[in-house]
Amino acid sequence: MNIFLRELKANFKSLVIWGGIAILFASIGFSKFSAFEANTELLAILDGMPPALLSAFNFNAFNLTTVTGFFGVMFTYFSLLLSVAAVMWGSEIITKEERDKTVEFSLTLPVPRSRLVTAKTLAAMVNCIGLLIITWGITLANAAKYQPDSEFYEFLSLSILALFIMQMIFLTVGIFLGCAMKQHKRASSVAVSLLLGTYFLSIIAGLNEDLEFLKYFSPFKYFNPAKLLHESKIEIVFVWVSAGIIAASLVGAYVSYSRRDLYI
Amino acid sequence: MSIIEVNNLTKYYGKSRGIVDVSFNVDEGEIFGFIGPNGAGKSTTIRLFCSLIYPSGGYAKIFGKDAIKHGPEIRQEIGYLPSEVYYYDRMKVIDLLKYSASFYIKDCTKRLYELADIMELDLKRRIDDLSYGNKKKVGIVQGLLHQPKLILLDEPTSGLDPLMQQKFFNLIREENKRGVTVFFSSHILGEVQKMCNRVAIIKEGRIIKIGEMKTLQKDNYKKIRVAANNVDETRFSVEGVSNLEKDNGAIRFFYKGDINVITRLISEYEVSDVTIEEPTLEEIFLHYYE
Repeated sequence: MNIFLRELKANFKSLVIWGGIAILFASIGFSKFSAFEANTELLAILDGMPPALLSAFNFNAFNLTTVTGFFGVMFTYFSLLLSVAAVMWGSEIITKEERDKTVEFSLTLPVPRSRLVTAKTLAAMVNCIGLLIITWGITLANAAKYQPDSEFYEFLSLSILALFIMQMIFLTVGIFLGCAMKQHKRASSVAVSLLLGTYFLSIIAGLNEDLEFLKYFSPFKYFNPAKLLHESKIEIVFVWVSAGIIAASLVGAYVSYSRRDLYI
Repeated sequence: MSIIEVNNLTKYYGKSRGIVDVSFNVDEGEIFGFIGPNGAGKSTTIRLFCSLIYPSGGYAKIFGKDAIKHGPEIRQEIGYLPSEVYYYDRMKVIDLLKYSASFYIKDCTKRLYELADIMELDLKRRIDDLSYGNKKKVGIVQGLLHQPKLILLDEPTSGLDPLMQQKFFNLIREENKRGVTVFFSSHILGEVQKMCNRVAIIKEGRIIKIGEMKTLQKDNYKKIRVAANNVDETRFSVEGVSNLEKDNGAIRFFYKGDINVITRLISEYEVSDVTIEEPTLEEIFLHYYE
């Protein structure tokens, strides 16, 4: 409990910063939407664009002139923002002990390493949930102006759930890399590169039908906002895939961290 | 009972050597010195005791329990002072110490304030505002606040002014009088000589000598200086003499063997002065490092 509380306190500032970014991002997004709302000209322009480009930005599945459709496009960017935060929190909460050379203090206390990983994972998870709630709140606040229908609220709730699962995937992957990598200085950059790699993979997978199998390798393809909106459901197979990744990362994290040398 | 039992303990970092086949025992209530220059493997050994790193071979037992398997349990009773202390910068000293204390089963509050008082530590300041020496003081209080049964010191005095060093050594001696075992790693031989009952000398990852402080000094070499007219140093090149040198009409050398052989030799001269001394640990140490 003491480790968990200390980590919460130590990471609170980071949550405030990321929360600020999310608020800024949502506000800028919705201020743009005010120009799109009920704008038929825009629809005509979009119809003239190449389909591949539209699919890369998720524009084809949504009607950008409604608040629901607009959030469908924003979803991708929110997922990127929340995932980057999650993967960085995950990797840094572990590696910072070695980076700041505090391992010689924190790991010579009478605590098993597994307890440390548990407490840190939970603390980073609280940060993720905090950021998700901020994102949720700011979206609700901004959307309220446009009197969204019940479809929007249903879509938003489902999207938040999808975002939460994505956060957990990247958080645990980050934790795993932080625990497993001997070169702790590189863990964060590897984690973020991996994330961006899977993001581009998701774009490639959308461009060509032959490459569709790639979607299994990119969490950004697990929860397609178009399906969330039109079918009002999360594909159960990807929930299982996500759970598998989360479980494997956590097991990998515990096993590698309790076996490896800590460098000072 | 052995508080520390080390058996063929070996650690390689990839291919580079940490320590090789290190074996020794430290008994309850001892102050055991562990000396060697930088890079000899002193910190590696201590980090193995704390299970920060894992051995490539052999084992270390502390309180009769394997240091790796029972790490957290053992660490309840270990106080560790690393050579350089790093703490969470943004915490206040008192918060850090209370945080540290919260991990121990016993209540440490009283001892925490006692120690802070002895070390003249300002508890209200933030860690990152502290000087190196003051951080070290936090380390001392943090390492001792739970009244451990075994204290591991890794070059503990660096950064402390002489007055604080004195206080620190008194503190360690007091703990030792209460039956606490101390493992004292250092390259400053003077402090080891003052504090320790037994010492081990480590060189390039291997133990080259273990002995009682007293016997290490006695059984070894005598440091002899003879001042006499026309002293012929070649006359002293007998078995057991080493480091023979001459300056200003006096000769100096180390001698190991029957002391009568040397006294007879000296008596051949009209001497103006003779000194026969125990070598300092420094000199023994240098001898092993030649």
